Amino acid sequence: MLHSHFSRIFKAFALLILMLPGQSWAAPLSYDLKPQLIAEDTYLLQGRLEDFSRGNGGNIVNTAFIVTRDGVVVFDTGPSFRYGKAMRQAIAQVTDQPVLHVFNSHHHPDHFLGNQAFADGTIWALPDTGRLMAEQGGAFSDNMYRLVGDWMRATEMQLPNRPLQVDRLQVGEHRLRFFPMTGHTGADLVMLDETTGVLFAGDMVFYQRALTTPQTPGLAVWLRDLDAIAAIPHRLLVPGHGPAVPDGSAIGQMGDYLRWLDLTLRSAAERGMSMTELMKIPFDARFAEVALRRHEFIRTVAHLYPRYEEAVFQKQ
Amino acid sequence: MRAWSNALLFALALSGVPSEAAEPTAGDPLDSVMWEYNRQIFLADQPYRFDERVLVELPPFAEDPTQVPLTVDASALAGRIERVIAWADLNPIQQIFNWYPAAGSRARLSLRFKVQQATPVRAAVLTQDGVWHVGSGFVDAAGGGCTAPSMANSDPYWESHLGEIAGRRFQAGSASRYRFKVIHPMDTGLVNNIPEFFLQQLELRDGQGSVLSRMELFPPVSENPVFTFDLEGTEGPHRLWLRDNGGNEFERTL
Repeated sequence: MLHSHFSRIFKAFALLILMLPGQSWAAPLSYDLKPQLIAEDTYLLQGRLEDFSRGNGGNIVNTAFIVTRDGVVVFDTGPSFRYGKAMRQAIAQVTDQPVLHVFNSHHHPDHFLGNQAFADGTIWALPDTGRLMAEQGGAFSDNMYRLVGDWMRATEMQLPNRPLQVDRLQVGEHRLRFFPMTGHTGADLVMLDETTGVLFAGDMVFYQRALTTPQTPGLAVWLRDLDAIAAIPHRLLVPGHGPAVPDGSAIGQMGDYLRWLDLTLRSAAERGMSMTELMKIPFDARFAEVALRRHEFIRTVAHLYPRYEEAVFQKQ
Repeated sequence: MRAWSNALLFALALSGVPSEAAEPTAGDPLDSVMWEYNRQIFLADQPYRFDERVLVELPPFAEDPTQVPLTVDASALAGRIERVIAWADLNPIQQIFNWYPAAGSRARLSLRFKVQQATPVRAAVLTQDGVWHVGSGFVDAAGGGCTAPSMANSDPYWESHLGEIAGRRFQAGSASRYRFKVIHPMDTGLVNNIPEFFLQQLELRDGQGSVLSRMELFPPVSENPVFTFDLEGTEGPHRLWLRDNGGNEFERTL
Protein backbone atom coordinates (compact mmCIF):
# COMPACT_ATOMS: atom_id res chain seq x y z
CA MET A 1 0.00 0.00 0.00
CA LEU A 2 2.69 2.40 1.12
CA HIS A 3 4.82 1.33 -1.79
CA SER A 4 2.15 2.00 -4.35
CA HIS A 5 1.41 5.38 -2.75
CA PHE A 6 5.03 6.49 -3.19
CA SER A 7 5.15 5.06 -6.63
CA ARG A 8 2.14 7.13 -7.65
CA ILE A 9 3.66 10.24 -6.10
CA PHE A 10 6.86 9.56 -7.95
CA LYS A 11 5.05 9.18 -11.26
CA ALA A 12 3.09 12.36 -10.69
CA PHE A 13 6.23 14.24 -9.80
CA ALA A 14 8.13 12.94 -12.80
CA LEU A 15 5.26 14.01 -15.03
CA LEU A 16 5.30 17.50 -13.54
CA ILE A 17 9.01 17.85 -14.16
CA LEU A 18 8.53 16.83 -17.78
CA MET A 19 5.81 19.41 -18.12
CA LEU A 20 7.86 22.28 -16.69
CA PRO A 21 8.25 25.03 -19.25
CA GLY A 22 11.65 26.13 -20.50
CA GLN A 23 13.22 22.70 -20.36
CA SER A 24 15.21 22.20 -23.49
CA TRP A 25 18.03 19.88 -24.25
CA ALA A 26 20.85 21.67 -26.00
CA ALA A 27 20.67 21.30 -29.77
CA PRO A 28 24.03 21.41 -31.55
CA LEU A 29 24.83 25.04 -32.37
CA SER A 30 24.91 25.61 -36.12
CA TYR A 31 25.11 28.85 -38.10
CA ASP A 32 23.66 27.20 -41.20
CA LEU A 33 25.42 29.60 -43.56
CA LYS A 34 24.03 29.76 -47.09
CA PRO A 35 26.23 31.50 -49.65
CA GLN A 36 24.16 33.74 -51.90
CA LEU A 37 25.56 34.46 -55.38
CA ILE A 38 25.31 38.27 -55.74
CA ALA A 39 27.64 38.86 -58.71
CA GLU A 40 29.99 36.86 -60.87
CA ASP A 41 32.28 34.76 -58.59
CA THR A 42 30.96 36.71 -55.59
CA TYR A 43 29.05 35.27 -52.62
CA LEU A 44 27.39 36.96 -49.66
CA LEU A 45 26.67 35.37 -46.26
CA GLN A 46 24.01 37.73 -44.96
CA GLY A 47 23.51 38.04 -41.21
CA ARG A 48 20.28 38.78 -39.40
CA LEU A 49 19.09 42.30 -38.62
CA GLU A 50 19.36 41.69 -34.88
CA ASP A 51 21.50 42.44 -31.88
CA PHE A 52 23.89 39.79 -30.51
CA SER A 53 22.03 37.00 -28.75
CA ARG A 54 22.33 33.39 -27.67
CA GLY A 55 19.75 32.61 -30.34
CA ASN A 56 21.73 33.97 -33.29
CA GLY A 57 25.26 33.24 -32.05
CA GLY A 58 26.36 36.67 -33.22
CA ASN A 59 25.47 36.00 -36.85
CA ILE A 60 24.21 39.55 -37.37
CA VAL A 61 26.93 40.52 -39.79
CA ASN A 62 27.57 40.26 -43.54
CA THR A 63 30.63 38.39 -44.73
CA ALA A 64 31.54 37.68 -48.33
CA PHE A 65 33.98 35.86 -50.57
CA ILE A 66 35.19 36.04 -54.16
CA VAL A 67 36.26 32.91 -56.04
CA THR A 68 39.08 33.82 -58.45
CA ARG A 69 40.98 31.49 -60.75
CA ASP A 70 43.96 31.65 -58.37
CA GLY A 71 42.15 31.28 -55.08
CA VAL A 72 39.53 32.74 -52.76
CA VAL A 73 39.35 36.25 -51.31
CA VAL A 74 37.44 36.62 -48.01
CA PHE A 75 35.96 39.90 -46.73
CA ASP A 76 35.38 39.67 -42.95
CA THR A 77 35.29 36.44 -40.97
CA GLY A 78 32.33 36.70 -38.59
CA PRO A 79 31.89 36.73 -34.81
CA SER A 80 33.46 33.44 -33.65
CA PHE A 81 35.82 30.56 -34.42
CA ARG A 82 32.72 28.44 -35.02
CA TYR A 83 31.47 30.96 -37.60
CA GLY A 84 34.89 31.04 -39.28
CA LYS A 85 34.88 27.26 -39.61
CA ALA A 86 31.30 27.30 -40.94
CA MET A 87 32.33 29.96 -43.44
CA ARG A 88 35.19 27.79 -44.67
CA GLN A 89 32.78 24.89 -45.13
CA ALA A 90 30.43 27.17 -47.04
CA ILE A 91 33.32 28.21 -49.29
CA ALA A 92 34.30 24.56 -49.80
CA GLN A 93 30.78 23.81 -51.03
CA VAL A 94 31.28 26.31 -53.82
CA THR A 95 34.91 25.80 -54.82
CA ASP A 96 37.98 23.62 -54.28
CA GLN A 97 40.22 26.69 -54.51
CA PRO A 98 42.31 27.56 -51.44
CA VAL A 99 41.68 30.73 -49.45
CA LEU A 100 44.49 33.13 -50.37
CA HIS A 101 43.58 36.50 -48.92
CA VAL A 102 41.42 37.54 -45.97
CA PHE A 103 40.48 41.17 -45.29
CA ASN A 104 39.16 42.51 -41.97
CA SER A 105 37.12 45.65 -42.57
CA HIS A 106 37.56 46.98 -39.00
CA HIS A 107 38.20 45.90 -35.42
CA HIS A 108 34.67 45.18 -34.19
CA PRO A 109 34.26 41.62 -32.91
CA ASP A 110 31.56 40.42 -35.33
CA HIS A 111 33.88 41.14 -38.25
CA PHE A 112 37.12 39.42 -37.24
CA LEU A 113 36.75 36.85 -34.44
CA GLY A 114 36.38 34.17 -37.14
CA ASN A 115 40.02 34.83 -38.18
CA GLN A 116 41.18 31.73 -36.30
CA ALA A 117 39.69 29.55 -39.03
CA PHE A 118 41.80 31.39 -41.62
CA ALA A 119 45.12 31.45 -39.77
CA ASP A 120 46.80 29.56 -42.62
CA GLY A 121 46.18 32.44 -45.07
CA THR A 122 47.22 36.05 -45.36
CA ILE A 123 45.00 38.20 -43.12
CA TRP A 124 45.08 41.85 -44.12
CA ALA A 125 43.82 44.87 -42.20
CA LEU A 126 44.59 48.57 -42.09
CA PRO A 127 47.54 49.21 -39.70
CA ASP A 128 45.30 51.15 -37.29
CA THR A 129 42.75 48.34 -37.36
CA GLY A 130 45.45 45.89 -36.25
CA ARG A 131 46.47 48.24 -33.45
CA LEU A 132 42.86 48.72 -32.28
CA MET A 133 42.29 44.94 -32.34
CA ALA A 134 45.36 44.41 -30.17
CA GLU A 135 44.18 47.12 -27.74
CA GLN A 136 40.48 46.29 -27.49
CA GLY A 137 40.00 42.83 -29.02
CA GLY A 138 40.37 41.04 -25.69
CA ALA A 139 37.59 43.06 -24.07
CA PHE A 140 35.41 42.65 -27.17
CA SER A 141 35.98 38.92 -27.10
CA ASP A 142 35.05 38.70 -23.39
CA ASN A 143 31.89 40.66 -24.10
CA MET A 144 30.95 38.31 -26.94
CA TYR A 145 31.29 35.27 -24.67
CA ARG A 146 28.91 37.03 -22.28
CA LEU A 147 26.40 37.99 -24.98
CA VAL A 148 26.22 34.83 -27.11
CA GLY A 149 27.62 32.16 -24.80
CA ASP A 150 28.65 28.73 -26.04
CA TRP A 151 28.75 29.76 -29.70
CA MET A 152 32.07 31.40 -28.82
CA ARG A 153 33.69 28.27 -27.41
CA ALA A 154 37.41 28.02 -28.28
CA THR A 155 37.37 31.46 -29.94
CA GLU A 156 40.59 33.35 -29.40
CA MET A 157 41.62 36.55 -31.04
CA GLN A 158 43.71 36.00 -34.17
CA LEU A 159 45.30 39.28 -35.20
CA PRO A 160 45.82 40.16 -38.87
CA ASN A 161 49.29 39.18 -40.08
CA ARG A 162 49.70 41.69 -42.91
CA PRO A 163 49.21 45.47 -42.59
CA LEU A 164 47.31 46.76 -45.62
CA GLN A 165 49.45 49.54 -47.06
CA VAL A 166 48.71 49.11 -50.75
CA ASP A 167 45.72 50.56 -52.54
CA ARG A 168 45.45 47.85 -55.21
CA LEU A 169 45.86 44.10 -55.44
CA GLN A 170 45.27 41.75 -58.36
CA VAL A 171 44.06 38.27 -57.38
CA GLY A 172 43.50 35.98 -60.37
CA GLU A 173 41.33 37.91 -62.81
CA HIS A 174 39.93 40.20 -60.06
CA ARG A 175 41.33 43.70 -59.57
CA LEU A 176 40.81 44.85 -55.98
CA ARG A 177 41.02 48.45 -54.82
CA PHE A 178 41.17 49.66 -51.22
CA PHE A 179 39.86 52.84 -49.63
CA PRO A 180 40.98 53.53 -46.05
CA MET A 181 38.36 55.53 -44.12
CA THR A 182 37.68 56.48 -40.48
CA GLY A 183 33.99 57.33 -39.97
CA HIS A 184 32.79 54.21 -38.13
CA THR A 185 35.72 53.29 -35.86
CA GLY A 186 38.72 55.41 -36.80
CA ALA A 187 40.06 52.71 -39.17
CA ASP A 188 37.60 51.33 -41.70
CA LEU A 189 38.36 49.51 -44.91
CA VAL A 190 36.16 49.80 -47.99
CA MET A 191 37.04 47.40 -50.84
CA LEU A 192 36.02 47.62 -54.48
CA ASP A 193 36.25 44.68 -56.85
CA GLU A 194 36.75 46.60 -60.10
CA THR A 195 36.21 43.43 -62.12
CA THR A 196 32.63 42.92 -60.94
CA GLY A 197 31.83 46.40 -59.64
CA VAL A 198 30.94 45.07 -56.18
CA LEU A 199 31.73 47.53 -53.39
CA PHE A 200 32.29 45.95 -49.96
CA ALA A 201 31.52 48.82 -47.62
CA GLY A 202 31.97 47.09 -44.25
CA ASP A 203 30.29 48.99 -41.43
CA MET A 204 30.82 52.31 -43.16
CA VAL A 205 27.34 51.52 -44.52
CA PHE A 206 24.45 49.95 -42.58
CA TYR A 207 21.17 49.35 -44.40
CA GLN A 208 17.76 48.68 -42.80
CA ARG A 209 19.64 48.23 -39.50
CA ALA A 210 20.57 51.16 -37.28
CA LEU A 211 24.24 52.09 -37.33
CA THR A 212 26.44 51.78 -34.24
CA THR A 213 28.63 54.59 -32.92
CA PRO A 214 30.83 53.48 -29.99
CA GLN A 215 34.10 54.48 -31.67
CA THR A 216 33.12 56.97 -34.33
CA PRO A 217 35.41 60.02 -34.47
CA GLY A 218 32.23 62.02 -35.17
CA LEU A 219 29.16 62.06 -37.36
CA ALA A 220 30.60 64.82 -39.56
CA VAL A 221 33.64 62.66 -40.33
CA TRP A 222 31.38 59.74 -41.18
CA LEU A 223 29.26 61.92 -43.48
CA ARG A 224 32.36 63.10 -45.36
CA ASP A 225 33.47 59.50 -45.83
CA LEU A 226 29.99 58.59 -47.04
CA ASP A 227 30.28 61.21 -49.79
CA ALA A 228 33.56 59.60 -50.82
CA ILE A 229 31.89 56.17 -50.94
CA ALA A 230 29.05 57.55 -53.08
CA ALA A 231 31.68 58.86 -55.51
CA ILE A 232 33.22 55.40 -56.06
CA PRO A 233 31.67 53.95 -59.26
CA HIS A 234 30.10 50.57 -58.40
CA ARG A 235 27.33 48.24 -59.54
CA LEU A 236 26.40 46.63 -56.23
CA LEU A 237 26.98 47.75 -52.65
CA VAL A 238 27.40 45.21 -49.83
CA PRO A 239 26.81 46.91 -46.46
CA GLY A 240 28.26 45.55 -43.21
CA HIS A 241 24.73 44.85 -42.00
CA GLY A 242 21.60 44.55 -44.15
CA PRO A 243 20.82 43.56 -47.74
CA ALA A 244 23.08 44.29 -50.73
CA VAL A 245 21.70 46.97 -53.04
CA PRO A 246 22.33 47.85 -56.71
CA ASP A 247 21.31 51.50 -56.27
CA GLY A 248 22.02 54.39 -53.92
CA SER A 249 19.32 53.52 -51.38
CA ALA A 250 21.70 52.26 -48.68
CA ILE A 251 24.03 55.26 -48.93
CA GLY A 252 20.97 57.54 -49.07
CA GLN A 253 19.46 56.06 -45.91
CA MET A 254 22.82 56.26 -44.11
CA GLY A 255 23.25 59.90 -45.04
CA ASP A 256 19.70 60.77 -43.97
CA TYR A 257 20.12 58.99 -40.67
CA LEU A 258 23.54 60.49 -39.89
CA ARG A 259 22.26 64.00 -40.68
CA TRP A 260 19.13 63.41 -38.59
CA LEU A 261 21.24 62.15 -35.67
CA ASP A 262 23.57 65.13 -35.84
CA LEU A 263 20.70 67.61 -36.01
CA THR A 264 18.74 65.87 -33.24
CA LEU A 265 21.69 65.75 -30.82
CA ARG A 266 22.64 69.35 -31.58
CA SER A 267 19.17 70.78 -31.13
CA ALA A 268 18.63 68.74 -27.93
CA ALA A 269 21.85 70.17 -26.47
CA GLU A 270 20.81 73.69 -27.46
CA ARG A 271 17.42 73.23 -25.80
CA GLY A 272 19.01 71.84 -22.63
CA MET A 273 17.58 68.32 -22.75
CA SER A 274 18.90 65.74 -20.33
CA MET A 275 20.07 62.35 -21.63
CA THR A 276 17.01 60.50 -20.35
CA GLU A 277 14.69 62.98 -22.10
CA LEU A 278 16.63 62.69 -25.35
CA MET A 279 16.65 58.89 -25.30
CA LYS A 280 12.83 58.89 -25.44
CA ILE A 281 12.18 61.33 -28.27
CA PRO A 282 10.08 60.11 -31.21
CA PHE A 283 11.76 58.88 -34.36
CA ASP A 284 11.53 60.46 -37.76
CA ALA A 285 9.03 58.46 -39.86
CA ARG A 286 11.67 57.99 -42.57
CA PHE A 287 13.38 55.42 -40.35
CA ALA A 288 10.31 53.35 -39.44
CA GLU A 289 11.76 50.34 -41.29
CA VAL A 290 15.20 50.50 -39.70
CA ALA A 291 15.76 47.59 -37.31
CA LEU A 292 17.06 48.26 -33.77
CA ARG A 293 16.69 52.03 -34.18
CA ARG A 294 15.65 52.74 -30.58
CA HIS A 295 18.28 50.42 -29.12
CA GLU A 296 21.06 51.98 -31.17
CA PHE A 297 19.78 55.52 -30.62
CA ILE A 298 20.02 55.01 -26.84
CA ARG A 299 23.58 53.78 -27.31
CA THR A 300 24.43 56.68 -29.60
CA VAL A 301 23.13 59.22 -27.06
CA ALA A 302 25.43 57.62 -24.46
CA HIS A 303 28.39 57.73 -26.87
CA LEU A 304 27.98 61.13 -28.48
CA TYR A 305 25.68 63.43 -26.50
CA PRO A 306 28.44 64.50 -24.05
CA ARG A 307 30.32 66.07 -27.01
CA TYR A 308 27.23 68.03 -28.04
CA GLU A 309 26.67 69.17 -24.44
CA GLU A 310 30.28 70.35 -24.21
CA ALA A 311 29.76 72.41 -27.33
CA VAL A 312 26.93 74.47 -25.78
CA PHE A 313 28.23 74.71 -22.19
CA GLN A 314 30.10 77.91 -21.37
CA LYS A 315 33.45 77.45 -19.73
CA GLN A 316 34.58 79.42 -16.70
CA MET B 1 -6.86 11.32 -5.78
CA ARG B 2 -5.36 12.39 -2.48
CA ALA B 3 -1.98 11.11 -3.63
CA TRP B 4 -2.15 13.31 -6.69
CA SER B 5 -2.94 16.43 -4.71
CA ASN B 6 -0.16 15.63 -2.24
CA ALA B 7 2.25 15.26 -5.10
CA LEU B 8 1.10 18.54 -6.54
CA LEU B 9 1.65 20.37 -3.26
CA PHE B 10 5.06 18.80 -2.91
CA ALA B 11 6.05 19.85 -6.41
CA LEU B 12 4.76 23.38 -5.91
CA ALA B 13 6.72 23.73 -2.67
CA LEU B 14 9.88 22.67 -4.47
CA SER B 15 9.37 24.96 -7.44
CA GLY B 16 9.53 28.04 -5.28
CA VAL B 17 6.05 29.49 -5.54
CA PRO B 18 6.07 32.61 -3.32
CA SER B 19 4.95 32.02 0.22
CA GLU B 20 4.56 34.13 3.33
CA ALA B 21 8.17 33.36 4.19
CA ALA B 22 9.46 35.53 1.31
CA GLU B 23 9.70 38.62 3.53
CA PRO B 24 12.87 40.33 2.23
CA THR B 25 11.16 41.72 -0.87
CA ALA B 26 7.92 42.57 0.92
CA GLY B 27 5.72 44.37 -1.57
CA ASP B 28 8.64 45.52 -3.72
CA PRO B 29 7.42 45.80 -7.32
CA LEU B 30 10.91 44.76 -8.48
CA ASP B 31 11.12 41.86 -6.03
CA SER B 32 14.70 42.79 -5.10
CA VAL B 33 16.45 40.77 -2.41
CA MET B 34 18.10 44.01 -1.27
CA TRP B 35 14.89 45.99 -0.79
CA GLU B 36 14.36 45.26 2.89
CA TYR B 37 18.04 45.70 3.75
CA ASN B 38 18.25 49.10 2.07
CA ARG B 39 14.89 50.22 3.41
CA GLN B 40 16.14 49.67 6.95
CA ILE B 41 19.29 51.68 6.21
CA PHE B 42 17.68 54.62 4.42
CA LEU B 43 14.11 54.79 5.74
CA ALA B 44 14.46 52.94 9.06
CA ASP B 45 11.02 52.53 10.62
CA GLN B 46 9.42 55.54 8.99
CA PRO B 47 6.22 55.00 7.00
CA TYR B 48 6.61 54.43 3.28
CA ARG B 49 4.70 53.32 0.22
CA PHE B 50 5.61 52.41 -3.32
CA ASP B 51 4.31 55.23 -5.47
CA GLU B 52 4.24 55.29 -9.29
CA ARG B 53 4.06 59.08 -9.26
CA VAL B 54 7.73 59.14 -8.33
CA LEU B 55 9.47 58.66 -11.68
CA VAL B 56 12.89 57.05 -11.82
CA GLU B 57 13.88 57.41 -15.45
CA LEU B 58 16.74 55.29 -16.76
CA PRO B 59 17.72 53.79 -20.09
CA PRO B 60 16.82 50.07 -20.26
CA PHE B 61 20.52 49.17 -20.30
CA ALA B 62 23.79 50.83 -19.31
CA GLU B 63 25.80 51.41 -22.45
CA ASP B 64 28.58 52.87 -20.31
CA PRO B 65 28.33 51.57 -16.73
CA THR B 66 30.38 54.54 -15.50
CA GLN B 67 27.93 57.09 -16.96
CA VAL B 68 24.33 55.95 -16.55
CA PRO B 69 21.83 58.79 -17.01
CA LEU B 70 19.19 59.09 -14.29
CA THR B 71 16.27 61.47 -13.89
CA VAL B 72 14.26 61.58 -10.68
CA ASP B 73 10.95 63.40 -11.07
CA ALA B 74 8.68 63.79 -8.04
CA SER B 75 6.74 66.73 -9.42
CA ALA B 76 3.48 64.72 -9.57
CA LEU B 77 3.37 64.61 -5.77
CA ALA B 78 1.34 67.35 -4.10
CA GLY B 79 2.82 69.67 -1.52
CA ARG B 80 6.30 70.48 -0.32
CA ILE B 81 9.00 67.86 -0.81
CA GLU B 82 11.35 67.69 2.14
CA ARG B 83 13.98 65.33 0.88
CA VAL B 84 14.81 62.78 -1.82
CA ILE B 85 17.17 59.82 -1.34
CA ALA B 86 18.40 57.87 -4.37
CA TRP B 87 20.18 54.56 -4.26
CA ALA B 88 21.03 51.55 -6.44
CA ASP B 89 20.16 48.26 -4.71
CA LEU B 90 23.07 46.20 -6.03
CA ASN B 91 25.88 48.75 -6.04
CA PRO B 92 28.74 48.17 -3.59
CA ILE B 93 28.09 51.75 -2.41
CA GLN B 94 24.32 52.02 -2.68
CA GLN B 95 23.55 55.65 -2.02
CA ILE B 96 23.80 58.07 -4.95
CA PHE B 97 22.50 61.27 -3.36
CA ASN B 98 20.41 63.06 -0.78
CA TRP B 99 18.53 66.01 -2.22
CA TYR B 100 16.62 68.85 -0.58
CA PRO B 101 14.73 70.48 -3.49
CA ALA B 102 14.04 74.20 -3.73
CA ALA B 103 10.62 75.29 -2.46
CA GLY B 104 8.23 76.08 -5.28
CA SER B 105 10.44 74.57 -7.99
CA ARG B 106 9.72 71.47 -10.00
CA ALA B 107 11.16 68.51 -8.07
CA ARG B 108 13.04 67.08 -11.00
CA LEU B 109 16.76 66.43 -11.25
CA SER B 110 19.04 64.63 -13.69
CA LEU B 111 22.59 63.37 -13.31
CA ARG B 112 24.76 60.39 -14.28
CA PHE B 113 25.98 57.65 -12.00
CA LYS B 114 27.92 54.38 -11.93
CA VAL B 115 26.55 50.84 -11.78
CA GLN B 116 28.48 47.73 -10.88
CA GLN B 117 25.90 45.36 -12.36
CA ALA B 118 22.26 45.27 -13.43
CA THR B 119 20.32 46.80 -10.54
CA PRO B 120 17.08 48.30 -9.32
CA VAL B 121 17.39 52.05 -8.70
CA ARG B 122 15.24 53.82 -6.08
CA ALA B 123 14.15 57.32 -5.29
CA ALA B 124 12.47 57.75 -1.91
CA VAL B 125 10.66 61.07 -1.61
CA LEU B 126 9.70 62.46 1.79
CA THR B 127 6.56 64.62 1.77
CA GLN B 128 5.47 67.00 4.52
CA ASP B 129 3.17 64.42 6.12
CA GLY B 130 6.23 62.34 7.02
CA VAL B 131 5.57 59.58 4.47
CA TRP B 132 8.24 58.31 2.07
CA HIS B 133 7.04 57.76 -1.50
CA VAL B 134 9.26 55.25 -3.26
CA GLY B 135 9.71 55.13 -7.03
CA SER B 136 11.73 52.41 -8.74
CA GLY B 137 13.51 51.80 -12.01
CA PHE B 138 15.73 49.07 -13.34
CA VAL B 139 18.86 49.29 -15.46
CA ASP B 140 20.40 46.27 -17.15
CA ALA B 141 24.17 46.46 -17.25
CA ALA B 142 24.60 43.92 -20.04
CA GLY B 143 25.64 46.58 -22.57
CA GLY B 144 25.70 46.17 -26.32
CA GLY B 145 27.75 44.19 -28.79
CA CYS B 146 30.23 46.92 -29.54
CA THR B 147 30.45 48.23 -25.95
CA ALA B 148 33.77 49.97 -25.66
CA PRO B 149 36.03 49.04 -22.78
CA SER B 150 36.36 51.90 -20.32
CA MET B 151 39.57 53.80 -20.81
CA ALA B 152 38.78 57.32 -19.63
CA ASN B 153 39.33 56.68 -15.94
CA SER B 154 43.09 56.92 -16.26
CA ASP B 155 42.91 60.29 -18.02
CA PRO B 156 44.95 62.77 -15.93
CA TYR B 157 43.08 65.79 -17.40
CA TRP B 158 41.33 66.41 -14.06
CA GLU B 159 44.58 67.04 -12.21
CA SER B 160 45.01 70.44 -13.85
CA HIS B 161 41.30 71.24 -14.19
CA LEU B 162 39.85 70.12 -10.83
CA GLY B 163 36.56 71.78 -10.01
CA GLU B 164 36.18 73.64 -13.29
CA ILE B 165 32.51 74.19 -14.01
CA ALA B 166 31.09 74.52 -17.52
CA GLY B 167 27.39 75.09 -17.89
CA ARG B 168 24.48 77.01 -19.27
CA ARG B 169 21.07 78.34 -18.35
CA PHE B 170 18.07 77.43 -20.49
CA GLN B 171 14.67 79.07 -20.37
CA ALA B 172 11.95 76.48 -19.70
CA GLY B 173 8.62 78.31 -19.42
CA SER B 174 8.62 80.32 -16.21
CA ALA B 175 11.53 78.28 -14.87
CA SER B 176 15.26 78.34 -15.49
CA ARG B 177 16.92 75.09 -16.32
CA TYR B 178 20.55 74.87 -15.31
CA ARG B 179 22.83 72.25 -16.79
CA PHE B 180 26.45 72.08 -15.73
CA LYS B 181 29.45 69.79 -15.72
CA VAL B 182 32.06 69.74 -12.97
CA ILE B 183 35.53 68.32 -13.54
CA HIS B 184 36.15 65.84 -10.73
CA PRO B 185 37.44 62.22 -10.66
CA MET B 186 34.74 61.07 -8.19
CA ASP B 187 36.96 58.21 -7.00
CA THR B 188 35.02 55.56 -5.12
CA GLY B 189 37.90 54.20 -3.03
CA LEU B 190 37.17 50.75 -4.48
CA VAL B 191 40.03 50.82 -6.99
CA ASN B 192 43.45 49.62 -5.81
CA ASN B 193 45.42 52.31 -3.97
CA ILE B 194 43.18 55.17 -5.07
CA PRO B 195 41.45 56.64 -1.99
CA GLU B 196 37.92 57.94 -2.23
CA PHE B 197 37.87 61.49 -3.53
CA PHE B 198 34.49 62.88 -4.48
CA LEU B 199 32.20 65.89 -4.50
CA GLN B 200 30.22 65.70 -1.29
CA GLN B 201 28.09 68.85 -1.15
CA LEU B 202 26.30 70.89 -3.77
CA GLU B 203 24.24 74.04 -3.19
CA LEU B 204 22.25 76.29 -5.50
CA ARG B 205 22.03 79.76 -3.94
CA ASP B 206 20.23 82.93 -4.90
CA GLY B 207 21.91 86.31 -5.43
CA GLN B 208 21.86 87.04 -1.67
CA GLY B 209 23.56 83.75 -0.82
CA SER B 210 20.51 81.97 0.58
CA VAL B 211 20.43 78.25 -0.18
CA LEU B 212 17.57 77.32 -2.53
CA SER B 213 18.37 73.68 -3.06
CA ARG B 214 21.14 71.43 -1.79
CA MET B 215 22.49 67.93 -2.30
CA GLU B 216 24.75 65.50 -0.50
CA LEU B 217 26.58 63.43 -3.11
CA PHE B 218 28.14 59.98 -2.83
CA PRO B 219 30.91 58.25 -4.82
CA PRO B 220 28.53 56.48 -7.29
CA VAL B 221 27.91 59.88 -8.92
CA SER B 222 29.84 59.76 -12.22
CA GLU B 223 33.25 61.16 -12.94
CA ASN B 224 33.00 64.73 -14.30
CA PRO B 225 29.31 64.71 -13.40
CA VAL B 226 26.69 66.58 -15.41
CA PHE B 227 23.69 67.90 -13.42
CA THR B 228 20.35 69.26 -14.63
CA PHE B 229 18.14 71.34 -12.29
CA ASP B 230 14.93 73.29 -12.88
CA LEU B 231 14.52 76.41 -10.72
CA GLU B 232 11.31 78.42 -10.66
CA GLY B 233 11.64 82.14 -11.21
CA THR B 234 14.13 83.76 -13.51
CA GLU B 235 15.47 86.44 -11.19
CA GLY B 236 19.14 85.71 -11.04
CA PRO B 237 21.92 85.44 -10.81
CA HIS B 238 21.98 82.03 -9.15
CA ARG B 239 25.21 80.68 -7.75
CA LEU B 240 26.48 77.11 -7.64
CA TRP B 241 28.72 76.00 -4.77
CA LEU B 242 30.37 72.60 -4.32
CA ARG B 243 32.76 71.05 -1.82
CA ASP B 244 34.58 67.72 -2.05
CA ASN B 245 35.72 65.41 0.74
CA GLY B 246 39.21 66.92 0.48
CA GLY B 247 37.75 70.27 1.54
CA ASN B 248 38.17 71.89 -1.88
CA GLU B 249 35.43 74.41 -2.64
CA PHE B 250 34.27 75.33 -6.12
CA GLU B 251 31.91 78.14 -7.00
CA ARG B 252 30.42 79.76 -10.05
CA THR B 253 27.69 82.20 -10.97
CA LEU B 254 25.32 80.44 -13.31
